[in-house]
This record gives sequence, C-alpha cells and structure tokens, in this order.
Amino acid sequence: MSGDTLLRLEVNGEARSLAVAPNETLLDVLRLQLGLTGTKKGCGMGDCGACTVLMNGRPVNACLILAPQADGTTVTTIEGLATDGGLHPLQQSFVRHGALQCGYCTSGVLMAAKGLIDRNPDPTEDEIRQALAGNLCRCGTYPRIIEAVKTWRAEEDVRFDTRPPATASRDQERDLAIVSHGVTRYDGPDKVTGRAKYTADLRLPGMIYGRILCSPIPHGIIKNIDTRRARELPGVLAVITGADVPDTYYGVSPARYDEHVLAKDRVRYVGDEVAAVAAFDEYTAEKALALIDVEYEDLPSVLDPHEAMKDGAPLIHPENPRFANNINTHVDWHFGDTETGFAEAHHVREQRFVGNRTYQSPIEPHAALARWEHHGEKLTLWSATQVPHYVHKMISRTLDIPMGSIRVIKPAVGGGFGGKAETTPLDFCAVLLAKATGRPVMMEYSREEMFHHFRGRHRQTIDLKIGVKADGTITAVDSRIVLDGGAYTSFGVITAYYAGSMVPTLYKIPNYRYEGFRVYTNLPASGAFRGHGVPQPRFAFESLLDMIAEDLAIDPIEIRLRNAMEPDYRTCNGLDIASCEFTATLEQAREASGWVEKKGKLPRGQGIGVGCGGFVSGAGYPIYRSDFPHSNAMIRVHEDGTGVSLHIAAAEIGQGSDTVLVQIAAEELGVPYEWVWMVECDTVLSPLDLGSYSSRVTLMGGNAVKMAAESVREKLFRIAGRHLGCDPAELGARDGRIFVRAHPETSFGWAEAARAAFSQSGPVVGTGCYQPPKNLGADVKGGAVGTSPAYSFSTAVCEVSVDLETGFVKVERITDFSDGGTVINPTTFHGQVEGSAIMGLGETLLEDMLHGKDGKLVNPNLHDYLLPTICESPEIKTAAVESYEPRGPFGAKEVGEGSLLPMLGAIANAIYDATGVRVTELPITPEKILRGLREPSAASGSASRGDA
Amino acid sequence: MNIEPLLFHRPESLKEAFELGRSLGGGATFLAGGTELVPDFRRGREAPSHVISLSGLSELRGIELRRGQLRVGALVTIEEICESAAVREWLPSLAEAASLLASPQIRNLATIGGNFCRAVPCADTPPVCIAAGSHVVLVSERGARTLPAEQLFTGPRQTVLEPGELLREISIPAQPDRSGGSYQRFAHRRGSALAVAAVAARVVLDGDRVEDARIVLGAVGPTPLMAHNSAAILSGAVPSDEAVARAAKEAAGESEPISDLRGSAEFRRQLVEVLTARALRVAIERARIGGSGPGDETRISS
Repeated sequence: MSGDTLLRLEVNGEARSLAVAPNETLLDVLRLQLGLTGTKKGCGMGDCGACTVLMNGRPVNACLILAPQADGTTVTTIEGLATDGGLHPLQQSFVRHGALQCGYCTSGVLMAAKGLIDRNPDPTEDEIRQALAGNLCRCGTYPRIIEAVKTWRAEEDVRFDTRPPATASRDQERDLAIVSHGVTRYDGPDKVTGRAKYTADLRLPGMIYGRILCSPIPHGIIKNIDTRRARELPGVLAVITGADVPDTYYGVSPARYDEHVLAKDRVRYVGDEVAAVAAFDEYTAEKALALIDVEYEDLPSVLDPHEAMKDGAPLIHPENPRFANNINTHVDWHFGDTETGFAEAHHVREQRFVGNRTYQSPIEPHAALARWEHHGEKLTLWSATQVPHYVHKMISRTLDIPMGSIRVIKPAVGGGFGGKAETTPLDFCAVLLAKATGRPVMMEYSREEMFHHFRGRHRQTIDLKIGVKADGTITAVDSRIVLDGGAYTSFGVITAYYAGSMVPTLYKIPNYRYEGFRVYTNLPASGAFRGHGVPQPRFAFESLLDMIAEDLAIDPIEIRLRNAMEPDYRTCNGLDIASCEFTATLEQAREASGWVEKKGKLPRGQGIGVGCGGFVSGAGYPIYRSDFPHSNAMIRVHEDGTGVSLHIAAAEIGQGSDTVLVQIAAEELGVPYEWVWMVECDTVLSPLDLGSYSSRVTLMGGNAVKMAAESVREKLFRIAGRHLGCDPAELGARDGRIFVRAHPETSFGWAEAARAAFSQSGPVVGTGCYQPPKNLGADVKGGAVGTSPAYSFSTAVCEVSVDLETGFVKVERITDFSDGGTVINPTTFHGQVEGSAIMGLGETLLEDMLHGKDGKLVNPNLHDYLLPTICESPEIKTAAVESYEPRGPFGAKEVGEGSLLPMLGAIANAIYDATGVRVTELPITPEKILRGLREPSAASGSASRGDA
Repeated sequence: MNIEPLLFHRPESLKEAFELGRSLGGGATFLAGGTELVPDFRRGREAPSHVISLSGLSELRGIELRRGQLRVGALVTIEEICESAAVREWLPSLAEAASLLASPQIRNLATIGGNFCRAVPCADTPPVCIAAGSHVVLVSERGARTLPAEQLFTGPRQTVLEPGELLREISIPAQPDRSGGSYQRFAHRRGSALAVAAVAARVVLDGDRVEDARIVLGAVGPTPLMAHNSAAILSGAVPSDEAVARAAKEAAGESEPISDLRGSAEFRRQLVEVLTARALRVAIERARIGGSGPGDETRISS
C-alpha cells in the first residue's frame, strides 16, 4: 500500500520535510532517514525510555509515535542538546559524576532530564525520580544520575562520593598519579552526546536486513520446510534453513557443543531458530518469515527439570546417548569427610531454596552486521558481543573459515552481564546471508526475541544442609542442586560447576559435598549471568546461615566473622585464596551501617539483614584448551611523542574497562591520561584478549597493559638516561616528564625521548601478555572451574521497610564494603557496586521469566518482566576496604560480579528481620510475604505465583 | 514486530472524522495518544488499514468549567491532567491517579479518552471519575449521548462505543460540600507500573454520619466495578474504624479478580480489602476537613 505522506517538522532547530510511510515511527525517521542514531531503540513498546526525545519540549517515547503524528512538531534529540559542539552543562555533569556506564540508555535519560530542568531548574531528588521513572538503566547508574541532575548547574567540579577508597598502603610509595584517581570515563563524552556507535547504529552502502524464524512449539520434528513463497516475495534476497548451514555443532564449552546454526531436524524450545531471511528492509524480511511454511510433528515436551530427569521423560537430545535422562552435566564432588563433619556438628539445619529465571536484559538488543570483502574472501563481522575472540573462534570453527580471514569488531556495547558472552544465531546468520547475497547484512533481535534467545540465569533448586559447632563454626556443608538448563548447553557445564565451586571460598568449610545436575528442558537455554551460577547458591547459603545463627542465638555478622575466609588459604576444594580482607568488609559494614544499634531493635515492618559474596578475578583457564596468554596488549607511541595508542581486545561493555586500562597505561608510561588513545576490540588492530567475562579484565588485561607500558618505558628510559647521564634504573616518569627519582627536578621530556627513540630505530612499540599461574585448582573433574589468580570479597547490609498489609518491600538502604584490591578508578568502582545493588534488588524482588504449559513465555517484554527503575534505587553507600592483591596490576582485583552476590541474601534476611517471614523461593514477591504473614505455619512462605 | 502498512488520515473537524469513519468502516481505527494502540499494532493485536488521527480535532481538547461541570476533553493528555490547576481544585484524586499512570513519557502522549476507550481493566483514570459521579459524552453522526461513566465499560477492552462513535469528553460534577475522594493502588514497582489492584472512593459526610459513599474497584474485574454493597455499609453509618473494616471486607467480596502474572485472585482480593480501607480513611479525613485540599499525602508507598 502506498501511503507516503509529507512530514514537516523541526529537528534540532532545523526545518525538515520528509516523505514518510505512515507505519513508520518517529524513531524510525530519526534513526534511518535522518541518521540521528543517538536516539536508541531498546524495546519498541514504550517500556524502556531509550528512545526518549523532546517533542514540543516534552519528553516522549519516539517509538510510540507514528511518523505523521509528528507533523508540525518541534523535536529535540540528544544530538541537539549541545548546540556549540561542546557539552551541555547537563552532559558535563553526567560525565563528571560517572552517571553513565554502557551508555545505551544515556541519551534517553539525558533528554528526560532536559525536559525536567527546562521546567524546573532546581529539582528535588523526588522530582528527579518521578521525571526519570520511564528510563530503564540496567547498569543501575541511578544514584549517579540523580546526583548529576541535582547538581547540573554546578560549575565547580563537584564530584560524587570521591572520598578516595582506601588504597593499598603497600603501594603508596609509588605516589600514583592516575591510578586510584576518579578520572572521568574514557568513553564518557561520546556516550553523553549520542556519538558512540553501537552495532545497530552502523550503516554500510548497500546494507540489507536479516531476520530469523523461530519455532512456535516447544518440542517437535521438522517434517518439511517450504521457502518458495518467501523467496518469491519481492524484496527478498535470500532464505536459508537448516539444510544450508554446516552439520558442525557449536556452543560454548567444547565438552558439549550441541547447537546447529539453524535447526536441522528438531526444535527444542519456543524460539529455537529454524530459518533466516535477508531482504532490502526489515519489514519485508519479517513478512517473508510468515511465508515460510514449516511442517512440524509435535513431540511431548518437558518444562520442569525434575520431571525431565525421570525415567521415561521425553528425551531432548536423543541423538547423543551421553545425555540419558536429559542430564546435561552431573557433578559429584566430595571434599573432606562430610559424614564425620555432620557427626561433629552441634546443630545441623537443612532447607530447600528455589531460584528464578532472570534475564540479563541489557537495554541494547543483540545485533550483528556482516560484510564480505576482497572478492568474498575476507569477512568483517561487527557484533554486539562481550567476547570478540570467542565469536571469532566460533565463526571460524563452525563455518569453516580460517581465523586469518575473519575480522571481528566490537563497536560500543550497551550492556552484556553475560548475555552477550557467546556467539549468537545473529552472528552466524548475518555471515551466511551476507555470503549468499554479496551484500552487508544487518541483524537485530527484537526485545521479545532477546527473551526467547535468553542465556540468562539458571533456575536452581537447592537442597542445602549446614552443620555447625555450638559456637557457629561450620563443620560440614552438603549441597544438592538441580539446574534448569533449558534446551542447550550454552555455558551450562561451567555454571553447574560454579554453583558448587564458589561456596567454600567465603567461609572456611572443612568438609563439603556437592552434587549438581544440569538438566535439559524444552525452555530457552540458560547461560552465564553476572555472578555465573553463584547468586542463587549464595542466596541459599546466606539465608540458611542466618537461620542457624538465630537457632544458636548468635549475631548474623558474628557467625560470619567466626567462619570468615583468611588470606593465603587453600579451600577444601583446592582453590588458592591469596589476598583476603573479608573480615574487614564485615567489620566495616557492621560499623558503617549502624548494625549494632539497629539489629533486633527496629519496629515491626522494618528490618536489617546482612549478606556476603565474592567472585573470581578472571577464570584461571580459558573456555577451550589453549596455551595462549589470556590477555595481550600492544602500545605504540605516536611518532612525535605526544600520544600513545593502546591496542587491546578487552571488551568495554559499560563496566568501565577502557577507562581502567587507559589509566594503567598512562600511569605506567608516565604520561597524562588524555594522551592515550584506546584501540579496542578489533581483531585486526588488537591482539587476542579473551574478553569480558568472569570479571577478568582489570586483573588480566591490566597486567598485560602494564607489561606493555613497562616495555615502552624501558626504551625511553634508556634514551633519557643517556641524556641525563644516569642509569635508566634511577629514572621515573610522570605527567609527560622523565626524571631522576632522587632529584625530580632533573628531568627530560617524555615526548622528546619518544622522538629520539623513533628517529633512532623506528616505531616505538611495547607488548605485554598475561597468563594466569599454571596448575591452579584441585585434580578433580571440573576442578578448573572457580580457579583464579585472585578472589574478591564483599559484605552488604540491607535495610528494608515492608508494608505488613500488602507485603510490598521498599529497600531503604544498602551499605556495601568490598575487597576488590587496589581500586583503579573510584568512580567506576562505586558505579559497579551500586549497579550490583540495584540489579540484586531486581533479582530478589521483581524478576522472573514465566512460561505457560505450552512452553511459551508469558512475559517477554519490559512491562511484564520488571526491572528496577530509578524509583526503586535505594540509598547506597559503597566503600572499598584496604587491600592489596600481589597478582593484580597495582594490587587490583575484581568488583563487578562479586558485589552482586551479597545482595540477594542481604535483602532476604532484612525481610525476615522486618516480618518474621522466611521466603525461600525467588523472587520474594509481596504475595509470598503476605502469605507468610497470614499463615505463620507456612513459615517458608514459598507461596506460588498466580497461574501464569 | 513491524507495523503493517496503513493509510493515515487527519480530519480537521468532528464532522470530517465521522465521514471518514463511515466511509472507511471496520478497516479504520481512531488514534489518540497511541501509547496503547501503537504497541498493539506492533504486536499484531490490531492491524487496521486506515488510521484516523484525532489530533486535529480541537473539539476534543481542553479542560473547562461549564454549567457546574468540569469538562475534560477526550484528547487532554494525562500530563495535562496532572498539571491542571482546575483538576487539582475540582477533583484532586483524578490528578493523583493520573500521576501514577505509567511513565512521564507516556503521560505526555496518552490521553484520558484513550485511557477510557481502550477499556483496559487496570486503567488508572476511570475509577476516580466514576467514584466522582462523572458522565461520558459520546458523539457520532447521530448526535451526542451522555452516560454515567461506569456504563461505558462492558468488558476487558470492550465499551458501548458503536462503530464511528467517539468519546468527546468526561464531565465531572461539582463534588458535594463535605466530600472527599481518594485513589489507592498497588503495583509491583514504584516507577512506571501497572496497577495490580486499585480502589477509588468518594465519601460525603452529613454531620457525623456518612451521607453517601461510592467505591470503585480497578484491575480486579473485567471493568471498573462499583462496590455497591460495600458502599451501602457506610451510607448512613458513623464512619468508624469498624465500619470501614466491614466495608473493606465487603469490597473484597465484590471484586472479581483473575489470577495472572501480577498476582493471584486471592492476593488481589486481599489487596482490595487493604486498599478500600485506606481509600475510605483518606476520603473520610478529607471530607471532614471540608473537601480535599491539595498537599494531602494520599499515595501509598507502593
């Protein structure tokens, strides 16, 4: 139907006249016709706010406005916020406060905030929360956003919470210039102006669009696929099915590759990929999907892992006999002697805990863009991924293309949290469709498709038993966990091991038994989500430990102190803990939260609770066997010596890793932070790095960068030493000067030394690499999972109020103390912990993916799957305890995942303190609390949700 | 999903809109703010071949006092209601209900007419208007008809609107002296969330007794529900804690909730009881101080 109409509107002060189709939205017009890609698409349903623009001065969702409805209006987008090429004071304030992480929601947040301050230049905190309630930030940057909006007019460099975290005194003699300082984010200015390009923002000449057809049934055989009608649709350029993809299985863990790019003969969940189409535009591609005729033979499905394990249950991978009873992974670990341990116990308590299926829900949907060049011999793939190397490897292996012919580029990524840690069907299909059509192919998931693709948290059923002596000292722990794996393995083998391996890292546990079953079901595949496999077991452990403490009349923090991990300790399952300031986190959180004054003294309806956690600082082993160093960096000094390029393929996905790595480079080189250019995540330009998972970048990438910088510095020191007439070993470098450490006034220009070095022997380049220590871990099957060069530790104290009539929980305050080693950047450190607190709040109280009996997802959108908004964001106080990790760069280790782990237990324990209701099933909904309040006998409070 | 192709019409008068509606018949949909319709287009729940935008119809705009009624045009946005001094003066509970609806971005687009005519059971503005004794004015080529607001709704997403008929305005009568209103709702999130259960109440006092009470339940039935029996318990009674509790219990019994992902029917009934008691207490307090002045804290903490 031709119904194009003329749209006349003013965009960012310029009058525009455009022919638009009435079924386009204002968002389409801005992004596709006007190239204003700073306005983002997150959900298309008005739920996330990423597309917020001002229309006639009012914030609106551009995705909800049919293009002709905008006729005659004035529209301001992020690109129009600053008119002089600089930054609007609001943008400056966001950069100053670190009020952005991945940046994908940032444009929308800024526009909503602009709408507010235009009417109300001095908004209160409550007014800010109300005004930004429609902008979801999955990184949980809310506390900083509030601060940035509140002080947007401050001309002084007012910093938010910049009290320097306690940094390592052992490193203080170094007198650090850049590390441990809250320098502003490297990617800040690009992200507050909408200039940062995410994959879906890219445009290539001749680019076409692809879409994937998904299975509508949870389990069945594909009897026949007829693509004729789709191929004949005008505008369709290619259609591929399972017959057109390799027979090679792919996946994450080499032990269990079990996925085909497109289903060969069987579909295993609603959403399984069946066919893909490329067309001139997205609309036509989607139309073509509906014209693919697939004949299915329904098979019985099984949606519950406990049912799936039973004899006679429908087999989901019958082709592979190792998966009998649908058991994808079985872990059976015994460390020490639990029988004796429990016999020695004064008190033993056991309890079942049930987790939820939570989804990472990054605001940026997954996307991929593929282009073949050089007569179809070389492939470039732009992918919204957190692991460019594994995508590179998996594309090569599965599609049989030499790695040397593939270039993987990671543009800006709008959040991952583990959900972008594997190669997606979009990556594969974009490559295949680009090959088939000879054109660049862009593919994106819709919000609903993201939920179907999933790879989120495994729902775990945990039977946990803890034995303690009369003083609360743990004698034995027995944990039996069933993990709902969904239809494929994904990261799941590793998840099943993590669910057991990390339990003994926090408390000294002499005897430990863990049996884990990861079970296939006809649901979307579960994967790796921040804290990988550990948050639910940690929720269980922290809850049960509190129950035991109450039984024995021991204070919850006291029982944790009595069992707390110590430095230089080998856990019963063979993990080597090096630096450990866990006790300090407990003591300081107790002090700062006013625990002693509050615990047991708050009125009914108010409660306080503690929870603890910790995580690896990078996995000790790569996902596939390899002797390659895990992180590699290259630093090239620019010829005139006033700039340096840092080449590393570590993946900035919002956590701030680019900033931290640039700080480390600048510190070690002795140049200003502003001199460093990051050349990140392009496999042609940057050496291999395993990417952003297992909280590995600061420690591993940081060490590689530090080593590369040392190598450059040595070259320059040799030259400077000659000029200054001293031994290079006596030199130091700082702020662009090379000086004699004993006489700092005797110095030589850093740039001058660099120019001399270049004149003498050409490019000044340094390289560095990092390999974790060898032979980490116990010599048992799966003993590698949980190994790491270093471990983080955190304690969170949470305060809640509970409406005793409705069960509604308001998290009032969270106080977190973390041991993440030396803090490289206080702003990003606090931002990560605050984001953890908010994500943990969502996981504990709000989030759960619900499936009907037909295997269909009931809530595949952001108004039924609820993420925390800025109105949920509690008062959060975060701090670092003094710590130094010898294996980390400048003493640093991780904080981004470990800080999530305490939150679930802390909130659950605070709710118990407020209400006397112990809810053992996540999420802790008002309905479960109310049931517990009304039926005190049902003390576990595990009320079921309504029939979904 | 992408939106199906459609033809866009923007009539400049009601007359023109009716003509278009008649000539295009069932293939056309009227479009106001679009915050529910556009997602429904995207989901494929509706795929009209013609959209008749109401944005050019000045007859449907504006908030004005006329003949003792506050007339709220169907195209008035939810944000305009939040900010309107007239609404805050006339029926503060409507401004309060409007301020709880979705997000600021949605409130800037969504209209009160859309909130009524889409007839989603959890809509926030109908219950307070019904509790206040409002009428809706429906217009078509055959003329105008006026109905008590509660009679607009016939089921989830169903109304008495006939093809080609439009809601022109909501007409809110002056609230009696010594009356007070309140809107209480429960949602899972503090920011931008749908009501799981909601209660609007209006109480008129005569001396120390309740002269009249109206209680309307939202999100717990196919339409906004008038809790007649609950209201009857209070009418003529001294508004004691005990009477309020009895009325609240009765309202829970009058609700017709379903179980869905936001809560079970049982949970919703419990919420109705709690919210009715809260709404009545606030309404009674406001009636006692002679109408409900702005600044009263009525939002529950959820």
